[in-house]
Amino acid sequence: MCASVKYNIRGPALIPRMKTKHRIYYITLFSIVLLGLIATGMFQFWPHSIESSNDWNVEKRSIRDVPVVRLPADSPIPERGDLSCRMHTCFDVYRCGFNPKNKIKVYIYALKKYVDDFGVSVSNTISREYNELLMAISDSDYYTDDINRACLFVPSIDVLNQNTLRIKETAQAMAQLSRWDRGTNHLLFNMLPGGPPDYNTALDVPRDRALLAGGGFSTWTYRQGYDVSIPVYSPLSAEVDLPEKGPGPRQYFLLSSQVGLHPEYREDLEALQVKHGESVLVLDKCTNLSEGVLSVRKRCHKHQVFDYPQVLQEATFCVVLRGARLGQAVLSDVLQAGCVPVVIADSYILPFSEVLDWKRASVVVPEEKMSDVYSILQSIPQRQIEEMQRQLFMEPARRENWSAANHQMNSLIWPREQWDSQIINDRIYPYAAISYEEWNDPPAVKWGSVSNPLFLPLIPPQSQGFTAIVLTYDRVESLFRVITEVSKVPSLSKLLVVWNNQNKNPPEDSLWPKIRVPLKVVRTAENKLSNRFFPYDEIETEAVLAIDDDIIMLTSDELQFGYEVWREFPDRLVGYPGRLHLWDHEMNKWKYESEWTNEVSMVLTGAAFYHKYFNYLYTYKMPGDIKNWVDAHMNCEDIAMNFLVANVTGKAVIKVTPRKKFKCPECTAIDGLSLDQTHMVERSECINKFASVFGTMPLKVVEHRADPVLYKDDFPEKLKSFPNIGSL
Amino acid sequence: MQSWRRRKSLWLALSASWLLLVLLGGFSLLRLALPPRPRPGASQGWPRWLDAELLQSFSQPGELPEDAVSPPQAPHGGSCNWESCFDTSKCRGDGLKVFVYPAVGTISETHRRILASIEGSRFYTFSPAGACLLLLLSLDAQTGECSSMPLQWNRGRNHLVLRLHPAPCPRTFQLGQAMVAEASPTVDSFRPGFDVALPFLPEAHPLRGGAPGQLRQHSPQPGVALLALEEERGGWRTADTGSSACPWDGRCEQDPGPGQTQRQETLPNATFCLISGHRPEAASRFLQALQVLAALQEMSPARVLALRQQTQFLWDAYFSSVEKVIHTTLEVIQDRIFGTSAHPSLLWNSPPGALLALSTFSTSPQDFPFYYLQQGSRPEGRFSALIWVGPPGQPPLKLIQAVAGSQHCAQILVLWSNERPLPSRWPETAVPLTVIDGHRKVSDRFYPYSTIRTDAILSLDARSSLSTSEVDFAFLVWQSFPERMVGFLTSSHFWDEAHGGWGYTAERTNEFSMVLTTAAFYHRYYHTLFTHSLPKALRTLADEAPTCVDVLMNFIVAAVTKLPPIKAPGGPGPRPKPPAPAPDCINQIAAAFGHMPLLSSRLRLDPVLFKDPVSVQRKKYRSLEKP
Repeated sequence: MCASVKYNIRGPALIPRMKTKHRIYYITLFSIVLLGLIATGMFQFWPHSIESSNDWNVEKRSIRDVPVVRLPADSPIPERGDLSCRMHTCFDVYRCGFNPKNKIKVYIYALKKYVDDFGVSVSNTISREYNELLMAISDSDYYTDDINRACLFVPSIDVLNQNTLRIKETAQAMAQLSRWDRGTNHLLFNMLPGGPPDYNTALDVPRDRALLAGGGFSTWTYRQGYDVSIPVYSPLSAEVDLPEKGPGPRQYFLLSSQVGLHPEYREDLEALQVKHGESVLVLDKCTNLSEGVLSVRKRCHKHQVFDYPQVLQEATFCVVLRGARLGQAVLSDVLQAGCVPVVIADSYILPFSEVLDWKRASVVVPEEKMSDVYSILQSIPQRQIEEMQRQLFMEPARRENWSAANHQMNSLIWPREQWDSQIINDRIYPYAAISYEEWNDPPAVKWGSVSNPLFLPLIPPQSQGFTAIVLTYDRVESLFRVITEVSKVPSLSKLLVVWNNQNKNPPEDSLWPKIRVPLKVVRTAENKLSNRFFPYDEIETEAVLAIDDDIIMLTSDELQFGYEVWREFPDRLVGYPGRLHLWDHEMNKWKYESEWTNEVSMVLTGAAFYHKYFNYLYTYKMPGDIKNWVDAHMNCEDIAMNFLVANVTGKAVIKVTPRKKFKCPECTAIDGLSLDQTHMVERSECINKFASVFGTMPLKVVEHRADPVLYKDDFPEKLKSFPNIGSL
Repeated sequence: MQSWRRRKSLWLALSASWLLLVLLGGFSLLRLALPPRPRPGASQGWPRWLDAELLQSFSQPGELPEDAVSPPQAPHGGSCNWESCFDTSKCRGDGLKVFVYPAVGTISETHRRILASIEGSRFYTFSPAGACLLLLLSLDAQTGECSSMPLQWNRGRNHLVLRLHPAPCPRTFQLGQAMVAEASPTVDSFRPGFDVALPFLPEAHPLRGGAPGQLRQHSPQPGVALLALEEERGGWRTADTGSSACPWDGRCEQDPGPGQTQRQETLPNATFCLISGHRPEAASRFLQALQVLAALQEMSPARVLALRQQTQFLWDAYFSSVEKVIHTTLEVIQDRIFGTSAHPSLLWNSPPGALLALSTFSTSPQDFPFYYLQQGSRPEGRFSALIWVGPPGQPPLKLIQAVAGSQHCAQILVLWSNERPLPSRWPETAVPLTVIDGHRKVSDRFYPYSTIRTDAILSLDARSSLSTSEVDFAFLVWQSFPERMVGFLTSSHFWDEAHGGWGYTAERTNEFSMVLTTAAFYHRYYHTLFTHSLPKALRTLADEAPTCVDVLMNFIVAAVTKLPPIKAPGGPGPRPKPPAPAPDCINQIAAAFGHMPLLSSRLRLDPVLFKDPVSVQRKKYRSLEKP
């Protein structure tokens, strides 16, 4: 060090005397040192980003190293589980804060090893499954490591299997958790409750107000709306990958695969087998397996050996019979194999029954009717069976979704802890809850089916009237004529002019036609076609009439009748000029048709009634880039609206009144434009573009239009409600 | 010497720089080599144990002895669940059979009418021995008489005690194993899956029918208050989107004051109403309301729209009358008995609801006409013509030919319902023709014959005259509206001020509310509904006054769809004017329904080019235009 200082002092004098060779040498040396420094500096900062993007920050420790906590024999014990607990009495929602994402936060206590006064451990530190379960929570969105922000607390004390626990000491361990507070907002997981001889159906560990996610609840112990019923984990389901099998009949009608059944039950099942022969298969443990074969993976019937769980795929129905405990791991195997479970376990609360509709995916048979089980199942129509099978496939599909998001979790048949969190989440934020259909509908049902946002059959009262929205740019004279014409319609309640021209001011107030209803002018910020479909606050009626500023040929009778028709079909587009889409077999794509055809699938929104909710959908929920595409091309906003409405309702448009020539002397009307060849090509392009964005062709073709009841009937014209219809 | 010194200084420089490097970089290298320690404050998560592989499974195979066979017991004796306290063996055969204990002594009008309504329903049976459920009404709050232990009590097994109004009566006997249906049961006494929770019914709740929901439009009106809150003394306060909302941590300090809220006496027109089960002091409730408001403001318009409509559907389907509440209760219990053939939840929760979608017809939603779109299914593309031949009994040869000529016709069924013997010869048709020998009752026309193999039925009277293209076009229309009736000839109902009742007219008018079933398309489900859900009295009425059957069928379809029927262009020409039904018919039916379900339509669905000034060659249905 000293020498180096000396060298440094002498350095400046030295350098000039150095040879070039040495100079280069020193420069190189310092560059290396400098680089080294930079690299070191980099190292100081680099690890941060590495750490946050992978597992580096997670502690890598041995289970044997966890801190040991000694529980004095006289440490407090929680009260027994409070059977009257409900969310509003025993759960503190205020700990869950108001989170904009409507997500609860879950905290996990650090792992400890608990020993009694004599140093004997209270339980196994942690089981493989509970470790995976906690890992999954910690990797999910629900996890927080901030105990003060947590809404739910999960102890790391493993109570999955009651048999491995010392009940009193485990309870004491719970009670000394830092935020225990009588167990409020604490969530325990248990799959094997009770013990001999009486096998209680809920965990016997005194737990006060703690929520229990348990496998094998009965109606006696399950606190409706508080506890969560979970399936019993089956190690096989995790190990074995079964091929997918479509719905349809299988080799066996009814199969029982459980070993260790009570002899009485086995007798009943075997009696069924004798009675119904080949279609019933009752399996048992194998007795004569050769060495090295896993007995858990085999089942036998007499001397025939079957692979388990593969054999489950060969049956339509699989028996899930209660043993000493109600929850049976075989349920998980059966579900995975796509076999419809026949649950014979009186008073059993099926897993997640709070949100899952087990009626759709299982058959529950009372124990006393066990001997009739075959005839009960026989009476189920084949189609209902296939629906159940389809419902079962949804479970693996959902599992894949979850595991894609969370690759740590594939060892559990269901990401059950996430479901638990979601169920509890739903209770805390009920208004943001997932609907019953979202929990239960398999994706296959979603395809081709629609859920109409206006599902309530309702004829709105005539008195409400409609709001006419005229989109205009600069054709003031024609606009004023339209306003005057439309204002003659009795049910018009307001007129809204959307002024789409930013370079020109709308005419002065005094110049506008004087009409009997309020007239409002909305100025837009940009000349976009989508401005026509914006859900303006000024629209107070449900019915909207979109009308172009050149549609002057519609009579007051025709418009009033159009409104009446809309009242009878408030969830449809009700319009005047109709159009059709056709499949062009030569070009292999869709084609737009404006000729006089016998069919319609669209109406032009140059003159159409529709529900104002579709304005909201058009503006905020239009799929893909369609809205921008339309604005950029300045075309096809009407086709987009037709697609949108048909897609969401599954219903066809209603064309009203006879065909007319939509031509006026001084303007290019819709029909005039339509004749233009390039226009037709563009419109066809729109249909193809939209169909590809929607992923389907939602438009529905019909061959009818709506006319007044007595239209063209042999009846005195003056007695007809809408005489002035169809005149050119 | 100098070279040595130079070399020495060189070595010094080198070692110095290496020392620096080691000093600065060493720690980092060290960190790389050793497992990192958690940084205080950084997110840790659950540790990945080094020895996780060695962890044992929570259960070892073969660990569980499976020997206990007695089912889990109730924690304390008296409790009940479905399996332990209800004997389903008595409920074999066709559904739930209910016996009602007759009233003893003086009973209130409500009591009497409820008894009558159950007696008239399809659930009713006369004998307690044949009944699966024994129903005990306990609602005589006014008369002051409390019911005593009934005869067939049997510790309450298979009994349902129905309490529509909170009873002042003390329990004179142990309820035991009886199910209880009452409003606002307490959490402690309510047995989920066994007891039934009812809505609270005011004394004046209508017995039958009931007022339809007040919702007149799907989406909320702009400017309407977002939330209404019930106040202590019966008034209402409203709060709007403009009101400042409290954060959701329960610590809302200040009362927003009167500026942001308005007081009103009657239920205001608001999008949401806050109903509080508990009755804490008003101030804190109002603060609660503001928290709710905060949550509501976040709700998307789509969700509000769905919620609004669902309230109306639920009200209309299950709540609006005493009869509906009772029938819903019985239907819930029947579903428990039925097990696999119970209503799927979709049928309960989407219009028209489980009381009108009979699970005895099917348990698959896609079999019902109102769930086609939701299920992504559609009706078959063919129909069955059902021709009723009443007196005088002429085989309708021309009609058969016209109908059989339709490309959509799958079969023809002739319902022979007159005194004359069956003709031995029938015309040759391209489709199978089956003759059914009827019982000469008019209601036979709407019996769900197993021989009907298509979803669509074209109901015809032998005297009707239709052309093939009229049939073809009307069937296409029906496929777009499979839940409605599509007919040709129409009639209307109207309120007759002079007589203070409903009137009926078959005159041609600008609107209509019924189509005549002498020529109409509809879904075969309505045959099941007509035969199995209508009170017997109404079917008898139809048999006695045959012209009434049209009205009855239109009532039942309208009660389900809440929509008018559809008129298709029916061939003109002189056809026998249908005889008007007995004037009282429509009023009797309306009384039995409890309300007037019929709705009027002002439109007719014509072919797209109907009577348009285009070449006839372009038109697909040109024969419809013949004068």
